[in-house]
Amino acid sequence: MSPADTTPALEVRDLALRFGRVTAFEHVNFDVEQGELFAVIGPNGAGKTSLFNVLSRVYAASAGTVRYFGQDLLRLRAWALAGAGIARTFQNLGLFAPLSVLENVLIGRHHLMSAGPVRAGVWLGPGRTEERAHRAAAREALEFLGIAQYADALVRELPFGIRKQVELARALAMEPRLVLLDEPVAGMSGDERAEVTALVRRLHGERGLTMLLVEHDMGMVMEVAQRVLVLDFGEVVAVGTPAEVQRDERVIRAYLGEEIDPAAEAEAAAEAARR
Amino acid sequence: MSAVAVSRRRGHRVKGRTVLLALIVIGAVLLPFALNAYWLSTAVFVVIAAIGAVGLGVLTGYAGQISLGHAFFLAVGAYTAAVLGGNDHLTAAIWLPAAGIVAGLCGAIVGPTALRLRGLYLAIVTIGLVFIGQHVWFNVPAISGGPGGRAFPPVQFGSFNFGVGQQMTLGGVVIDHNGLYYYLSLLLLALAMLYVFNLQRTRVGRAMQAVRERELPAAVLGVNLARTKVSAFVISSFMAGVSGALYASFLSFVIPDQWSLLLSIQYVAAIIVGGIGTVWGPVLGSLVIFALPSILTSLFPQTSAGGVPIDDITSIAYGVLIIVFFVAEPRGLVGLGSRLAGLARLIGARRRPPRSRIQETQPIEGEEAT
Amino acid sequence: MTQFLQLFFQGFALGCIYALVALGFTVIYRASQVINFAQGGMLLIGAYLVSVFATGTRLPFGVAVALAVLLLAAGAVSFQMIVLRRVIGQPVFVLVMITIGASIVIDAAIPAIFGGNPRLLGDPWGSSALHVGGVTLNWVRIWAVIVTALILAGFFVFDRFSRYGLAMRATAADEEAAAAVGVPVRRVYALSWAIAGAVAAAGGLFLAGFPNSPNPSLGDVALRAFPAIILGGLDSPLGAVVGGIVIGVVEVLTSGYAPSWLGANFSDIAPYVLMILVLFVRPYGLFGTRPVERL
Repeated sequence: MSPADTTPALEVRDLALRFGRVTAFEHVNFDVEQGELFAVIGPNGAGKTSLFNVLSRVYAASAGTVRYFGQDLLRLRAWALAGAGIARTFQNLGLFAPLSVLENVLIGRHHLMSAGPVRAGVWLGPGRTEERAHRAAAREALEFLGIAQYADALVRELPFGIRKQVELARALAMEPRLVLLDEPVAGMSGDERAEVTALVRRLHGERGLTMLLVEHDMGMVMEVAQRVLVLDFGEVVAVGTPAEVQRDERVIRAYLGEEIDPAAEAEAAAEAARR
Repeated sequence: MSAVAVSRRRGHRVKGRTVLLALIVIGAVLLPFALNAYWLSTAVFVVIAAIGAVGLGVLTGYAGQISLGHAFFLAVGAYTAAVLGGNDHLTAAIWLPAAGIVAGLCGAIVGPTALRLRGLYLAIVTIGLVFIGQHVWFNVPAISGGPGGRAFPPVQFGSFNFGVGQQMTLGGVVIDHNGLYYYLSLLLLALAMLYVFNLQRTRVGRAMQAVRERELPAAVLGVNLARTKVSAFVISSFMAGVSGALYASFLSFVIPDQWSLLLSIQYVAAIIVGGIGTVWGPVLGSLVIFALPSILTSLFPQTSAGGVPIDDITSIAYGVLIIVFFVAEPRGLVGLGSRLAGLARLIGARRRPPRSRIQETQPIEGEEAT
Repeated sequence: MTQFLQLFFQGFALGCIYALVALGFTVIYRASQVINFAQGGMLLIGAYLVSVFATGTRLPFGVAVALAVLLLAAGAVSFQMIVLRRVIGQPVFVLVMITIGASIVIDAAIPAIFGGNPRLLGDPWGSSALHVGGVTLNWVRIWAVIVTALILAGFFVFDRFSRYGLAMRATAADEEAAAAVGVPVRRVYALSWAIAGAVAAAGGLFLAGFPNSPNPSLGDVALRAFPAIILGGLDSPLGAVVGGIVIGVVEVLTSGYAPSWLGANFSDIAPYVLMILVLFVRPYGLFGTRPVERL
């Protein structure tokens, strides 16, 4: 990467997803700059998770293009994303319950390792060296998240809050250039939310990762995001900084669902006062 | 608990496990001298079957691909051995690995079906594989001897063969036909188990387990589903091929009827009874499932008990065993073992005098008390 | 031409029996995701029950059949309540293995109890037949088709128009949601097994009719119904019926017309070959639906 490389991490043009006659979203356009923390928000059912699933190649787009550091993203198979530097977390946690925390994180490093059935089975020699090196890297990721002591615990024995952090550790261990976070604070208590928000900030600040966040907790997003895109009923309603978006009328309407006409309100209030 | 105490506990556990392993190895090596011919030949069958079971353990236990087609791959291995060793008179050093390789190739061909098909759909296609295989075995006498079956060659290395009546003297100890097969199979089983042990703690084994648990997240994390599933099929069929070849060679005569769905089910039962997703599970399970007929026959020496043919009693016992097992301990023998081990630890912990517990929580010099 | 019609008719009748096996299986699977490998074994029990009641007592045939149906339905429900309820929540393969275990027990217990020799079914039709234009239409087979049609019509009415039919569809679609709105899920499970048992009794009765007879090898015949289940799609009752009939017709037609280079008794595996070919094109069967994974 040359020092003056300003290719956007993501360039989304006219992206659409349709299931038969139902449109999940369409006419979606936005850029995510390198190193940016970009959020996609909107009410439930707005199409955020569908957008996410298209970007992580779980669903095939119906129309439009996506460029990832200049590459055509929509050509990649789902399992090639990791190798391209894209890490994704799951709202319902994509962890493997019967495996240990360390093993879960190590699966994140699958694309960075190369041992096949022969080398893995033989163990002695390059297999062992590679395994040891990557275990160390995985532990590092766990330490960054502050959960190294859970390395050997089985995921199914851990509480939700810790599992969320394992998911983040795994994303970090993938050595990504772009991280897709799917509703990172969904279903969390106030304390947990604060913890995860801080972790997201740290990941962004200390590791300089480009992050795309999908969330419907306004508070969390306004705290960490640099730019925000608002979706409603599958259409882009606004794009801008958190402050800009918060003031945008269309956004308010989307969340509250009604017209805010100051003149009409004043009249109604006067009418009520007269009675 | 302080870090030292934790690692001391872990150290105890590792030491305990190593001692247990050593005892098992010694026991396995000495076993033939403690058994009569009947039980030794049963042991041979168990060990040979365990090789195939370990293979199925990779496919179904680790990679989660349901397969009732194991009998097909066993047959492929057996008939490869028959053609190369029996028709062409090649040494076992060639036909044994060849049996594995040919079966493995079949696995590579069948494997991609697991990419399109899931769960029960895949299971029933594998059942179809067994039936189609039997149809082929019945109709191609050149390979299988037709419905009447054919003879299979004994293991032969150079001029020495393991045939019935053969003996080998090693340092004053006489090893007979059964013993020869026993040690050969034991060696191969040990290699297979070592291979799987290494597999499951490295990249490939983890990828398989991820695929078993949740395919989509696994794919998004970078696991190539196709390669992982096909690898699992190849490894599993390779081991099945070797196992099938040894089985037929030891039996010395096999009819195509034997490569049946029931045989596949026995293997599946073995890995589940033993414990899915473990290295020892398939071996323990094989011990139960494949020794059962011999145990029952020795309990009821007549061909029938109370007018009921022994085969039917064996089958009923299988069925009941499977049912009871899965209702009581779905994690198999390994799960039972760890449950017992946990119980033992609990009892041990209660019996320890209070003083040592206080000692364990003392901070170590220089360390902060937590 | 007459040979074709003859074989087609026989295949259609056989297909009806497969359809009954497939239907019983699908009912259970839709309601509870349980894969009942013992469905074929249940048919075997059904055949023997009819035989025992029809030949061992002085009861009229119809009553004997009714008794067999009731007993088998009750037995199926008991199995579900005594054994399967204890393993609710376990992974699927545990339940599958239990039903496999049950089928092994049944296949061995039948000859153990009744001996390996064929019995008399005790049906009023025997080998009597209607002869139409050179085609022999055995009464047993005609009745098989008629009864299957009646059962299917009855099931359709139940499924669409009755409260419990709706309850079953709700449970099949989303068990948790159904329970949350007050659907008696446990009763629905029990009901699905009862239906499967009753349908198996009918299937067993006709399976054991001319030219077969109640004998232990009937269990193997029922195994050939599995391609029918898959062909139609695991979760579709309509698929079960279509699949069953297609498999039956194909099996009998191949027995008549298959070239000799395909090997002797190719018709035994024709159902599986057909199933594999169809799955290449439609991995979830003709009418099956792809399971949704929520991310």
